[in-house]
Amino acid sequence: MSLRRILFALACLLLPCVLAALALAAMLFARQGGIEPFRIPHGDRAVATDATTIARGEYLARIGNCRACHTARGGAPFAGGRTFSTGIGTVYSTNITPDPARGIGDWSADEFAHVMRHGVSRRGALYPVFPYAHFANVADADLDAILAYLRTQPASASTPPPNRLEPPADSRRALVGWRMLHYRPEATRIDPNDRGRYLVDGLGHCAMCHSARGERGSLPPEGHFAGGRIPGIGWYAPPLDRVQLERYSEQQLADYLRTGTSAHGSAYGPMAEVVYASLRALTPGDALAIARHLKQVEPAPLRATVGSEANDDAGSPGAQVYAHACADCHGKDGEGKPGAYPPLQGSVAATAPDATNAVRLVLYGGMPVTTAGAPRPHSMPPFVQRLDASEIAAVVNHLRRRWGARDSRLTAQDVESMQGIVVD
Amino acid sequence: MPRCRPAILFALLFALSPAFADDGIAERLAACAACHGALGEGMQGAEYVPHLAGKPAGYLFEQLAGFRDGRRVNASMTWLVQFADDAWLREIATYYAALPPRTHAADAGAAQLTPERRERAERLVREGDREHGVPACSACHGPDLAGLEPGIPATLGLPADYVVAQFGHWRNGSRRAREPDCMREVALALSPQDIRAVATWLSQQSNADGIRPAPAGAFVPPARCGALDAEAAP
Repeated sequence: MSLRRILFALACLLLPCVLAALALAAMLFARQGGIEPFRIPHGDRAVATDATTIARGEYLARIGNCRACHTARGGAPFAGGRTFSTGIGTVYSTNITPDPARGIGDWSADEFAHVMRHGVSRRGALYPVFPYAHFANVADADLDAILAYLRTQPASASTPPPNRLEPPADSRRALVGWRMLHYRPEATRIDPNDRGRYLVDGLGHCAMCHSARGERGSLPPEGHFAGGRIPGIGWYAPPLDRVQLERYSEQQLADYLRTGTSAHGSAYGPMAEVVYASLRALTPGDALAIARHLKQVEPAPLRATVGSEANDDAGSPGAQVYAHACADCHGKDGEGKPGAYPPLQGSVAATAPDATNAVRLVLYGGMPVTTAGAPRPHSMPPFVQRLDASEIAAVVNHLRRRWGARDSRLTAQDVESMQGIVVD
Repeated sequence: MPRCRPAILFALLFALSPAFADDGIAERLAACAACHGALGEGMQGAEYVPHLAGKPAGYLFEQLAGFRDGRRVNASMTWLVQFADDAWLREIATYYAALPPRTHAADAGAAQLTPERRERAERLVREGDREHGVPACSACHGPDLAGLEPGIPATLGLPADYVVAQFGHWRNGSRRAREPDCMREVALALSPQDIRAVATWLSQQSNADGIRPAPAGAFVPPARCGALDAEAAP
């Protein structure tokens, strides 16, 4: 008697918990898109293959920068294998050439559009390294044009290495859980006529680097364009909003996107790659549309604060390093030299909440991207063999205090922790 | 013959040489100068970094493009050239090719070779090793080892560690050249001891007369060489 009563009491207690858990799971599952993302369509709808469509697809693929992520250095174009370091391990990009077995040669247009929109392929849910939340905004006709272009590329039988991820992330089933917690598809697509926003939040997927990430690599709305560290490669992407971009006119910003350089500084690190592989192909009209949109973006709630107090510690050790190592090119007042050396006053390196970019540029120098508008860039020499870590910390503190109004307190240990070049 | 005034010669030099036509290139290449020297002459006391000055432009271009495209591996170099297009890399290559070749040995004070190792190194340089199918260095790099246009570099005075490292890269496939890539075969055929002996010997040679690479076709290497194919020239 007592056993039955205990079991009954337990059931009475547990059943609501189980039901509540099931209801919560069902709700979360519905919020990540329900069952639809996991139903891969099979059809054989034909896409246009005329030269105009293919050329448009090529242009759109450039803006989406498909090739940069889906090509390993020195590897066949679109054959995948590029390394993406994340907090939980390494993901390799996939082969998207027309090879039927190793690539996407036997995907129908509907299947391609489905994968781009939902991030689920016939192999299961895709890692959110693939920006499907952004590609969900791309119009049907544009997706078809991209596919038409990809189908003209040489097939490659290359197979990327298997991903190396820690459990539970190594299981694609765990990605369903990730989606339930973090993926919230937009109810409506962006109007393609709102061209700037359509490119920025669609194919351009700018937020993948320029937003602050939340838990487990998610992109919460409050971090949109708030700036953030890029996992794995040691760079910081600055916030993108009208406040941060105040010093650019619309035309200056549009020109920066196409040339990689401006009166306010040059693209370096991953942004140089984006200009080189993608943005330099922008039409002037699209570049201007992007610039106009970015200049209207409201600062995100998570936006890192900009410092307000200039702190010019002239005579400090950092100021002395600056005078003998930097001032020749960047000017004794950080004013730069138009057309050659970028100013440090107001620069991202000086003003960003994260000093990573400044330190890495001083350590290893850089050569800005070459573009039609800037075919012969001025390089910055590396200082890793001329200055020690404490001198680099001092000079970066100096320039960030002086021209970024930042209370910068880098130590030699901080600089040492940022050493090392990741070239994937 | 009309008298040539220095000013006219100077003007002619500027007009004829693309490398000197723009005086801005040296300051644009400050990143290169930090390791390779202001005139691409290499750095006295640097144990690893090779000189660039006076090497064939075709060779230099292939190396720059190789760092960009993954045919050579050096993180610092790839960091700098990875977003540079062919036109800019060609201009950089042409600039360094026009500069006077390095004149001093890299490792004049480096560990001395024993007489036996020196003799072995000199034999490999002048005669090669027929038994192992290794041609003489001089058969391809020139009797004075100053290189051959448009694609074979001088080996005089390269730092020993750099040369040893390149042989390692060829052996493990991380340095690749246009096919046929004879250096891979040479690197696989030579023993580590022979590689070290030749590298040390080369590092002690100077180019006091500033010998430039032999003109294209000045001599014919014993095997077909991908680096001499016409399209390798910038």
